[in-house]
Amino acid sequence: MAEGAGGTPEPIGRLIDEFHRLPGIGPKSAQRLAYHILRVPERDALALAEAIGDVKRRIIFCSSCLNITESDPCSFCQDQRRDRTIICVVEQPLDILAIERSGSFRGLYHVLHGLLNPMDGVGPEDLHIRELVERVRAGEVTEIIMATNPSLEGEATAMYVQRLLAPAGVRVTRLARGLPSGADLEYADDITLARALEGRQEL
Amino acid sequence: MPERPRAYKTEGIILRRRNLGEADSIFTVLSPRQGKFDAIAKGVRKPRSRMRGHLEPLTRSRLLLARGRSLDVFTQAETITPYRAIRDDLERSATALYCAELADRFTIEHADNPGLYELMLAVLEALDLGAPPGPTARYFELQILSLMGYELQLDCCAACRGRLEPVETLLSPSAGGLVCERCRAKAGAGRLLGVRAIKVLRYARNVDIAAFGEVRIDAVLANELEVAMAGVVSHFLEREPRSRHFVEAVAALPGRPNALAPEIVRSDQGP
Ligand SMILES: [Zn+2]
Ligand SMILES: [Zn+2]
Repeated sequence: MAEGAGGTPEPIGRLIDEFHRLPGIGPKSAQRLAYHILRVPERDALALAEAIGDVKRRIIFCSSCLNITESDPCSFCQDQRRDRTIICVVEQPLDILAIERSGSFRGLYHVLHGLLNPMDGVGPEDLHIRELVERVRAGEVTEIIMATNPSLEGEATAMYVQRLLAPAGVRVTRLARGLPSGADLEYADDITLARALEGRQEL
Repeated sequence: MPERPRAYKTEGIILRRRNLGEADSIFTVLSPRQGKFDAIAKGVRKPRSRMRGHLEPLTRSRLLLARGRSLDVFTQAETITPYRAIRDDLERSATALYCAELADRFTIEHADNPGLYELMLAVLEALDLGAPPGPTARYFELQILSLMGYELQLDCCAACRGRLEPVETLLSPSAGGLVCERCRAKAGAGRLLGVRAIKVLRYARNVDIAAFGEVRIDAVLANELEVAMAGVVSHFLEREPRSRHFVEAVAALPGRPNALAPEIVRSDQGP
C-alpha cells in the first residue's frame, strides 16, 4: 500500500490491515473495502460490526460434536430422529452443510477443525481427535465415516483416526473414491457426495 | 541479464502445499535442474480444476509453468507417478513427508541440485515398493547431509583424524562425525553409537537404497540410529523438523490396522 505510510489517516490504515488479514483479501481489495466502509451510512457500517461481534459472542462449539451452534448441544446432536450409532467425521463445519445438502446421511457428526498437516506442524493434539475417541468410548457408536478430503492431509487424517480407533472395535469407513484427488469437500456436488457416502469402504 | 523464457517445462516432485485465498494454492516443487521453487496454481481448489490431482504433495509430475511477477504460475500439470502405496500407508506417508520437509528446509530456492532430486526420487520409489520407513529415512538423512556439504566423518576421528577403535563411539554433529575417546572431552554434544549402528551408517553411505533396504535392523538398533541422526539433522538444520513430531505420533499408535491394543476400551465391552 504505497499511500499507507504517507497520507492515510490511522483508523483507515487499521481497517485496511484488518481486512488484509481475511482469507482471499489482497492489499488492493483491503483498501477498496476500507474506503467503501468510509462511504456507507454509519448504521450500515455498525450493523456489520455488530454482526461480527455477534458471531464471536453467540456462536459456540457443540460440546459433543464441535459443530458451530447457538445452543449446546447443537441441533444435530439434539435431534432424536438421527441415527446415534454412526458418526461422520469432517474437517470443518462447512462440510456438514455439503453432506446435509446431499440428503443421504442421517447420523451424527464430528468436526475436527482441521486436518493433520505434518509440515505445518499441525499434529493430532491440535485437532479434536480426543473428543472423538471419548464419544466412541461412550459405547453407542458402531461406525465412523471419515469424510475428510481425498488429499494427502485428508487421507493421513483418516488413516490416523482409523488406527487410533481400531482397538475399540468400531467400524471405520472412508468415503468412496468418487471424489477427485485433492478435492475440497465443501465444493463437491450433491450427487458425487451421495455416491461417495453410499460406496464408502472399510479403511 | 539474459532474457528468461516466459513459459517453461520441468518435471518435479511436489514437496508441499499451502492454500492461498479462496481457491489458489502455492506448491513447493523439487526439480532436477532448477532446484526447489515455489509456484502458484490458480483455482486449483475449485471442483473443476484439471490440475488438482496432479499437484498433490509427494507426487511426481510433468509441469508447465509461466513466469509470473513474483511467483511463477502452473499452467499444466500431469502426474508421472502418484506413489499410491505411500499415500495409502500412514507410516510411509509420514516418512515421505519427513524427507520432503528435509529436502525443503536444507535447500534454497533455484539452487540446482540434481543429486538431491535423484535421492528424493529414489526414496519415494523405495517407499512405494514397500521399503521399511525407518531405515529409509536414515538413508535419506545421511545422503542429504552429504549432498549439502555436511558429510559425516565415519572412518576416522573427525577431530584428530586418528584411528577409531571398534567400540562405542561418540557421534558429534559439531565435530562433523565420529570422535575418538581421547577427543571426546573437547568435542561438542552428541550421542554414543554402538558398533552395529556405526556399521549400518557406513554401509548406508556406500550402497544404493535398494541394497540398504535388505539390511536387517531390529527395533533397538533402529531406535539408536533414529535418535542419533535426529540430533545430527537438527544440528545442521538449526531447528527441529516439524514433521518429526508426526512420525513419532504415528509410531506411538496401537499396532497395525485392526490389531487389538489396550489403549482404548469401550465401556460397554468391559475389561
Ligand atoms: Zn453437536
Ligand atoms: Zn580424535
